[in-house]
Amino acid sequence: MTTNRYLVALIVLLLLSTSVAAAQDKPTVSVWFNAGSTPSCTAPLIVDGFNSSSDVAQVEIVEQPNQWDVTRTAVTGGGGPDIVISPGPSFVFEMAAAGLVLPLNDYAAELGWNDTFVDWALSLGEVDGTLYSLPHELETLILYYNKTLFEANGWEPPTTMAELVTLAEEIAAAGIDPFAHGNADWRPANEWFVGEFFNHIAGPEAVYEALTGQRPWTDEVFAESIDVLNQMQENGWFSGGLELYFTTDEPARMAALGSGEAAMNIEGTWRFSNIDTYFGEEAGNDNEWDWVPVPSATGDAIFTIGIGSTWSINAASPHPDAAAAFLTYFFSPQVQALLLAECGQAPAPVNLEADAMEGVDPRIAGAFEAFAESSNEGNYGYTTWTFWPPKSDVYIYEEIERVWDGQITTVEYLEGLNAVFAEELAAGEIPPIPERE
Amino acid sequence: MSQQAVPSQPEALSPPAKEAAGRTRYRLLHHVAIPWLFILPILLIHIFVVTIPAITGIYYSMTDWSGIGAANFIGLENFRKLFFEDQAFGRALSNNIVWMVFFLTVPFILALMAASLLARIRRGGMIYRTILFIPYLLPSVVTATIWRNLMNPRLGVGAQLAKVGIPGLDIAWLGRSDTALLSIAFADNWHYWGFLMVLFLTAMQSIPMELYDAAKIDGANRWQEFRYVTLPGIRPVVLFMLMMTAIWSFLVFEYIWILTQGGPAGASEVLGTLVYKNAFNRFEAGYGAAQGVTISLFAGCIILMFIFLRRRGWEI
Repeated sequence: MTTNRYLVALIVLLLLSTSVAAAQDKPTVSVWFNAGSTPSCTAPLIVDGFNSSSDVAQVEIVEQPNQWDVTRTAVTGGGGPDIVISPGPSFVFEMAAAGLVLPLNDYAAELGWNDTFVDWALSLGEVDGTLYSLPHELETLILYYNKTLFEANGWEPPTTMAELVTLAEEIAAAGIDPFAHGNADWRPANEWFVGEFFNHIAGPEAVYEALTGQRPWTDEVFAESIDVLNQMQENGWFSGGLELYFTTDEPARMAALGSGEAAMNIEGTWRFSNIDTYFGEEAGNDNEWDWVPVPSATGDAIFTIGIGSTWSINAASPHPDAAAAFLTYFFSPQVQALLLAECGQAPAPVNLEADAMEGVDPRIAGAFEAFAESSNEGNYGYTTWTFWPPKSDVYIYEEIERVWDGQITTVEYLEGLNAVFAEELAAGEIPPIPERE
Repeated sequence: MSQQAVPSQPEALSPPAKEAAGRTRYRLLHHVAIPWLFILPILLIHIFVVTIPAITGIYYSMTDWSGIGAANFIGLENFRKLFFEDQAFGRALSNNIVWMVFFLTVPFILALMAASLLARIRRGGMIYRTILFIPYLLPSVVTATIWRNLMNPRLGVGAQLAKVGIPGLDIAWLGRSDTALLSIAFADNWHYWGFLMVLFLTAMQSIPMELYDAAKIDGANRWQEFRYVTLPGIRPVVLFMLMMTAIWSFLVFEYIWILTQGGPAGASEVLGTLVYKNAFNRFEAGYGAAQGVTISLFAGCIILMFIFLRRRGWEI
């Protein structure tokens, strides 16, 4: 009896040591997430899912404060994680030029990424025709509104910019802030509005021409866009005035939208992940939210394409094949659909299957479906943080405050933008711009 | 045995010569070698952590480095752009000067007043000192967040006072171009002046009581005691802290970054935030390094000024 026990224990130990050894044989792919900016359930789902299904590698996710600054410093020094996550395609340009990230064309062909992603998506990760990054977190901006407040006042969601302005006047006259906007905790929020007004007033064709150097940013269509935005600020429609806009943070403005102190909010689809905390029982009100496309001058539903992050393989990675295997898993339509449904994580621009939206809030599912449909029809625009090079992007959100504050005029603002952009255009630092059909 | 044979045997030193050689060895060992051995670890750390990065920073300030990859040498182009083209640099520098003037006056006046009052308290003085010193121990992110909430125009102190009939303070202190910088300085000062107060108090306690007794006999009032006994007694500490505060004024970053990130409309932009934005947001690390080197030069000028004053006989 005792001998049998020892035998069983020995077999168990052998099995355990074999499995541990097998696990140790598999290389570990390291990934650094930005602490606090990714839904909390994302990392455990990825780690558990990949580690239990992969025969070739394991993944380890570490949350880093200021992840991009840390990653860039580490990668430049020859270290860093196997998977390099950057805030957008324009940030990969410098890394690719310095040979810090690996070309991915062979992996894309071999592992089927060309079929996984929607047609235009992989071109965003190209530098001089070579693929260096995969786009993640497909984003667009929409007009959220307090549906209950709208119904109570008989207001209709606007479809044109003229309707939006008229409605905002009406809302302001009722003593309600038309827009729950503020930038106290995220100054680049300014660029959401500049970008949306460029795309929805000047139009995406004009933006495309400017981004490809065929039209100057001083063109009057852009001046008109900035003038409309500036007028809204002057009217005090953004959270009650410019000073309040500068001191209102995300919880405050979303709480105002949820409670009905403000009526509308132009913001990204990333807000889906926590918008329910500001509406209904959880927030202590009976209100409901809904969304419509950001109104345009023509009334067409235009969705600006935004990429929240890009994923590349570190050139210093000791096991790039394992990293590629992880990317294949992570960007699979099944995993992307799972992360959307379970965590509200914005998906990558991959070909999601028909049932991918099952279990997802119909408003959220509807937004992504409308976005996909619109972009397939060529009705898409360009977000500033995805398609503008870094210096121009910073200029857009820093200097617009000086227009609002009356320190410079619209013309001076656009002349400055034109000068900064021309420098970056001449240096070849413009990210790939999807051609218009 | 001839005496001329002695020089051919230099090792055979006379006892006094042996003694002198021994003293030399002793001096070399105890006054040169051992002290250097003691400071060797910190010297090595300093070389690797301060000297080499500083020299590297000076080199990068003369390149077009983006922060990633190769850096091309462009001479003094970054400095030309900095001083002759970049209006943001000029605005940030003027904000740093405003900041310096604020911190060379307000906290010093507060700290001197509080220290001279507390120096006379015999019972319970430690409680006051502790209370006034506690803000200095709080992390800047905590202090800044507290003040952001206190200065909130809808929820802060001003808003609450307005609700009870005291209007005028419910304004967006951090959202107005004319108040943002000084509001941040106010919050930073809240945490800083207690530290100065403790330093001054410690210095005051080292002033012999006989000097105060003598002043009293001469008929000095409280102000004259402070002016002619206390201030001269703590002058080295005050001057040293004036120098350090002036230098720190060019390095200010965290309170401004946490509260406004240089906004609104550049109203609270300082050199520190500008360097960060150039290096990490605009991908102009070489240009950011040039700004960093310039900040160091400003700090160097302040140190030179104090060295000059010291040579003129000031006790610093």
